[in-house]
Amino acid sequence: MPRTLKINNKEYQIDLTGHETLLEVLRNQLGLTGTKTACEESECGTCTVTINGKAILSCITLAASVEGDDILTIEGLSDVEKLHPIQQAFLDKGAVQCGFCIPGMIMSAKALLEQNPEPTREEIDYALDGNLCRCAGYIKIIEAIEEAGKIMKQGASKQPTPRKHSDISPEKITV
Amino acid sequence: MSVRSKTNHKNNYVDPVGKSVVRIDGKGMVTGQTKYVFDVGFPNMLIGKMIRSPHAHARIISIDTSKAEKLPGVKAIITAKDTHNIKFGSNEYFFPHTIDQMAIEADKVRYVGDEIGAVAAVDEETADEAIRLIDIQYEILPAVTDVLEAMKPTAPRIHEALNNIAVILPVNFGNPERALKESDYVREDHFYMPAAHMAAMEPHVSIGQWEIFTNKVTLWSSSQAPFKCREALAKCLKMDLNDVRVIKLAVGGGFGGKLEMMPMDFATCVLSKKAGGMPVKICNDREEEFLSTRRKHGMHYRLKSGVKKDGTLMAITGEVIADGGAYCSYGPTVLAAAIMRIFMVYKIQHFRVSGYRVYTNTPISGAMRGFGGVQAGFAIESHMDLLAQGIGMDPVDFRLKNITTPNMWTINKMYLSTNGLKECIEKATAACDWQKKRGKEKHLCRGIGIGIAADVMGSKMYKSHESAGSIVKVEEDGSVYLFTGAADCGQGSNTALSQIACQELGISYSRIKCKSGDTETTPFDTGSFASRVTFISGNATILAARDAKRQILNVIAEEHKLNADDLDIRAEEVIYKKDGKILMDFDKAVELSYSFNYGRQIIGRGSYNPKTTPIDFRTGEGNVSGSYGFEAQIAQVEVNKETGEVTILQMWDAHDIGKAINPQSVEGQIEGSLVMGIGYTFLENLQFDKKGRPANGNFANYRLPRTMGMPPMNTILVETNDPEGPFGAKGMGEASLLPTSAAIANAIEDAIGVRIKELPITPAKIIKALKEKEGQEKNQAKN
Repeated sequence: MPRTLKINNKEYQIDLTGHETLLEVLRNQLGLTGTKTACEESECGTCTVTINGKAILSCITLAASVEGDDILTIEGLSDVEKLHPIQQAFLDKGAVQCGFCIPGMIMSAKALLEQNPEPTREEIDYALDGNLCRCAGYIKIIEAIEEAGKIMKQGASKQPTPRKHSDISPEKITV
Repeated sequence: MSVRSKTNHKNNYVDPVGKSVVRIDGKGMVTGQTKYVFDVGFPNMLIGKMIRSPHAHARIISIDTSKAEKLPGVKAIITAKDTHNIKFGSNEYFFPHTIDQMAIEADKVRYVGDEIGAVAAVDEETADEAIRLIDIQYEILPAVTDVLEAMKPTAPRIHEALNNIAVILPVNFGNPERALKESDYVREDHFYMPAAHMAAMEPHVSIGQWEIFTNKVTLWSSSQAPFKCREALAKCLKMDLNDVRVIKLAVGGGFGGKLEMMPMDFATCVLSKKAGGMPVKICNDREEEFLSTRRKHGMHYRLKSGVKKDGTLMAITGEVIADGGAYCSYGPTVLAAAIMRIFMVYKIQHFRVSGYRVYTNTPISGAMRGFGGVQAGFAIESHMDLLAQGIGMDPVDFRLKNITTPNMWTINKMYLSTNGLKECIEKATAACDWQKKRGKEKHLCRGIGIGIAADVMGSKMYKSHESAGSIVKVEEDGSVYLFTGAADCGQGSNTALSQIACQELGISYSRIKCKSGDTETTPFDTGSFASRVTFISGNATILAARDAKRQILNVIAEEHKLNADDLDIRAEEVIYKKDGKILMDFDKAVELSYSFNYGRQIIGRGSYNPKTTPIDFRTGEGNVSGSYGFEAQIAQVEVNKETGEVTILQMWDAHDIGKAINPQSVEGQIEGSLVMGIGYTFLENLQFDKKGRPANGNFANYRLPRTMGMPPMNTILVETNDPEGPFGAKGMGEASLLPTSAAIANAIEDAIGVRIKELPITPAKIIKALKEKEGQEKNQAKN
C-alpha cells in the first residue's frame, strides 16, 4: 500500500508491501546509495541514518514503521554549497580512508553532537561503538567529531539557529 | 580567445608534497556521492548467485539444472561445462605447480563454499530459488580441516599429488648447527597464530557484461589489482587482454582480499554471455565473505635459536607450517615472506628455517595485509624478547646490538640502502620513556614491550616485472589529469600520486584530477599490494610529470630561442634554473603550447620498474625491493590479574617512511595498522567446525576492534629520504601491523611475568598462564 516517507525533507509516496527495510527502500527504490550496508544484520553500523534526530540502523528498521518520521540520510546532511561541519571536519582531520563506513559514522556523529555538542572522549567512543571501520581510522574519526562539536557550538552561538528540516514544508515526490 | 582556468591556482600555491592536503576523493565520500561497485546498477541488470558446495570435500557426480532452468525469471545457469576449465592462480611465475584453482570447479569440491556454478535471474529471490532447484549429486570424501592432520601421510588427499604439502620451502644460510653449539644460550619456542579474515566493509561485488556481437567483456569489480584480475579473466575466458576491460570504482577496503580474480568475477561475465548480454551483478553477503573469499594463513612457527652472553644473535633455526586451505592463491610467496622478512631486520649469518604450505579442506588462505609478516612478527619478536631475557639483557639493547644497518647487503642479498631502524628504536624508546618504565611498574601490573619490523615496497612476486605506468595530461586551460593504473582501495594513493605529479610539474594541487584503475583507459600497474604504490607508481608518476613538463618547456624554448634544459617549472611559474627568474606563469605556458603555431598536446608518460632482482627460491637470495622500510613499536599495558583483562594504555610507533608525501595519510595508515594489529592480538580468530564450516563467520561472532578501548597512539615519522623513492618516500602501508602483537605480548610479560605464545591473547589464557606460574613458584619454594 502507498506510504509517505519523509526523507531529507522530501515526502516520497512509496508503494510498500510492508516487508521492506528502510535500507532497501533508500538504496533500491530511491537510489539514495550513500547509506551502505556491510552485514545486513545490525553489526556494522554502515547503514546508520537518523530518525527524528536519533541514530538508527536502517537495515533492521521496517520502512513502514517510520512513516511520518523525520528521516535524514547522508545525502540530506548538507546543502549543495557548504558541507556540514561534521563532513568538513572528517575531511580536514583525514578521517576518511576507503570511505565505505563514513556515511554511517557521520550520521552517528550527527545524532551524538545534536544532543551533546561537547562530548567527552568516552561519550564519543560509546556513541560510535556500533560503527565498524576496518581501515580503522577510529583515532582520526574521533578527532574529527571533537572538532566538529566545537565548530557546531561556535556556529550555534554566533549565527541564527540553522534551519531545521521540520521548519520547511517538504517537497512532495511520488515513486 | 584562449581557454583559461576559472580558478586562481597561483595565489593559493603551496608545495603539494609533504602537506596534508585534503583527500582528492574525500568530498564524495563524506557526502555519500562516491560510487562503489556495490552501489551501481544498470537497466535490465540481472542478479547472480554462486552455487557453492555444502561439503568440505566431495566428488561431483552430476549436476541437474533442468528444474531451475524452467523457473520463471531465471535467465542463465552456468557450470564447469560452460567454461574452458582453465586453472588460474597467483604465483604462476615462481611456483607454476601451484596454479590449482578453476573459476568453476568441474570434478571436485575442496571446501564448504567452493564454487561449482552460478545462476542469474531477475531478482535475488528467484536466483536463490533456482539454486534450491538444482540437483547436485556428490560422492562425499573424507575431509581434513586441521593443518597438522593434513600433513600426515594417511590424510585424505585434497589435490592430485602425493600428499597435501603444496610447497616445501627450505631456507638455509651458514652453519646453524655449529653456531648453536657455539652459543651461550639456546632456547626453543612454539608459537601459533590463527587464521583471520580481511573483513573489508564493502563485500566482494562484480558486475559483468558481455557484448555478444563484438565479443568484448567489461567487468566492474571491487578490486585492488584490476590488471591482475584482467590477466586471470582473459586467461580463463581465452581472450586477448584488450577484449577484457576491468573497471574499479571506489573500493571499500581490500587488505589483500581483493587482489585476485574471484570466481564471481568470472561468473558474472559468463552468465551475461549466456543471458544474451544482459549485465549481471553478484554481491557477496557477509556470510559468503567469510566463507569463500580469502583469509590470513593460520601458522605454527617453531623456533630454536642461540645467542652469546654479549647478546650476539648466533643462529636461528625453525619450522613454519602454514594452513593453506583448499587452493594455493598467494600462499607460496606468503610463506616465503613469513620466513625471509627477518633478514631485513636482524644481521644473521646462520639460519635454517623450513616452511610448509599445506592444503586443508577449509577456505583459501591468501594475501592479507602484512603478507605473512604479521604471523612471523609475533613469533620472531616474542622469541627475541625471550632470548634477551635468557641472557639478562634489556630487549632494546638486544635489538640495537643485532639490527641491520644502512648500506648493507643482507645474507640473502637484499641491499638496504637507507635504513632508519636504529633511529626508529631510539626515537620510540625515548618517546615512551623506556628506561623509567621497563620492568619498573610490576607493582601496578603495568608493563612495556617493544617489537620491530621491516617491509619491502613491491617484491616482483607475482610476475617477472613490477612495472607501473602513469600518464599526465595537461588540458588547454591548464587543468591536469593523472591517469594511473594504481588501484586506490582506500589508502589514499590517488591523493598521494596526484601530489607527486603536481610537485614534479610545478603546479598547484588544485589543478589535478585523478583517474585510476581502469584497464582500458589507464596504463598498466600490478596493483595495491606489498606496500608498493607510493614507491613504484609514485616513481612512474614523477616520470610522467617530468615528461609533460619537458614538452611544455620545449615549446617555450622554441618560441623564445632558449634551451629547454635551462628552464624549469616551480610553484606555478616557468623559471630560469640558474637564478630562479620568472619567465612566464604556468597558464601562459600552457596557452602557448596550445596556441595557433604550436597546438601541441601535452601528454607525459612514465613507466617505472624497480631495479631489483626477484628472489631465487632455490637459494633464498634476491634484492626484491627498490628500498626497504623500517619500524619500531612500543605498547604499554595494564593487566587485571583477577579477570585476565588487558588494557593498552598507550602505543608508540616510529616508522622510517623515507618522506611523508601526505603526513596525515601516513598517520592514518599507521593508526589503522595498529588497530588491525590490536584486533589480531586480542579478538580475531577465524574458526571452523569439523565439517569445515566457519564457526564464527559473521560480525556478531567474529569480533573486530571498535572505538571503545582504542589507546592513544603516538606516531613518529622518521624521514630517511631514500634516493630511489619519489621525493625520498618509501612504501608504508603494512609495516606498522607486523610487530603489534609481539609488542603487546612482550609488554604483558613485563607487567605480570607470563608469556602468551598463542594468539589471540584472551583473558582465559592469561588466567591459565598466571595459575601455571603460581604453581611453578610454589613448587620451587617447596624444593
